[in-house]
Amino acid sequence: MAEMRSGEGQIKNQTVDKLVPEDQDGVLCTAEVDEYFMDIKGELSQIDRLVSDAVNNLVSNFRYISRLTKSHHDMVLAIEKMAAPEGSKPILELLEKQMDLADKIEQELEMAVTSLQFGDLVTQLLAHTTHQVEILNIELQRIDRQGNWKKKVGKEPLHTIHEGISKAVDVAKIKSKRKPVVQQGMQMGDIELF
Amino acid sequence: MAKTILAVDDSASIRQMVAFTLKGAGYEVIEAVDGQDALDKANIHKVNLVLTDINMPRMDGLKLLELLRKVTHYKTIPILMLTTESGDEIKAKGRAAGATGWLVKPFDPKRLLEVISKVIG
Repeated sequence: MAEMRSGEGQIKNQTVDKLVPEDQDGVLCTAEVDEYFMDIKGELSQIDRLVSDAVNNLVSNFRYISRLTKSHHDMVLAIEKMAAPEGSKPILELLEKQMDLADKIEQELEMAVTSLQFGDLVTQLLAHTTHQVEILNIELQRIDRQGNWKKKVGKEPLHTIHEGISKAVDVAKIKSKRKPVVQQGMQMGDIELF
Repeated sequence: MAKTILAVDDSASIRQMVAFTLKGAGYEVIEAVDGQDALDKANIHKVNLVLTDINMPRMDGLKLLELLRKVTHYKTIPILMLTTESGDEIKAKGRAAGATGWLVKPFDPKRLLEVISKVIG
C-alpha cells in the first residue's frame, strides 16, 4: 500500500514492484498506511480536543458574564429604588442608561446561546469524518491483503492499483454513515411541530 | 409550581445552553447525558416535557422516544427532538415514533421558549 504515499512522490511512473517492498504479504506497507491513517485520526482528535476546550471555556465565561449581568441589573434596580423619588434628575438618567446597557448585554448573551452551540456541530462532524477515515483505511488494507493487483496479468500495474483504490473508496462510501450535520452556518435551524 | 423539562444531550455545552434558556424562563430542568440516562431519570421524575437530541451514545433519541411512548405517563407528554439532523426520512421516523415536534440545531432561545410554551400549555 505504499502507493498511498503520493505526498512523498513515490508513485509517479513507478511499477508496483518498485513501490512494494519484497514482502510477500505486504505487511510492512499495510503498517505504514495504518500509521498514516492513525496520524489523520490523531489530528482530528486533536482538533476535537481543542474545540471542546475552547467551548468549555467560552461556556464558562458566558455563564459568569450572565451572572454578573444579572447582579448588575438587580443592583441598578435597587439603586433606582433608593434614589427615587428624591433622586436628582442626572442620577436617575444615569441609572436609566445603566438599565439600557444591562438590557443590551442580556440581548447579546441570548444571541450568544445560538453561536455557542457550534461545538456540538463540530464534534459530530469530526466523529463522522473520523469514521469515514477508519472505513477507508480498513477497505484499503483489505484490498492490499487480497493483493489482486499482484496476480493480475496483462494489465498495467498502476491502473490496477487505481482500480483497487477506487473500489476501496466505493465500498467506504457505501459503508459511510449518514452525515449528521448539514448546516453551513450558525443560523437558527428550522422548527416543525407535528 | 414550575414545570419540569428533561433536557437530553450528550453535548455538555448544548445541555448548558438549554438549561440556561429554560431556567431563565422559570422552568425546572433535569439534564441527561444520553437516552439511557434520560429513561432512568424519566422513570424517577415525572417531567412535563422532554427535549432530546438524536445522535447519542448508548441509546439514541429515537429509541428513547419509542420507549417513553410505551410508558403511561409519557404517552401524551410533549417530546421535542432537538437535533442537527434535518432529513425528511429521519423526521418521518421521529414523527411515526410519536415526536411532538422537530427543532434543528442551533436553536434560538426565544424561538425555543415559544415552541415549548405552545406545546406544554
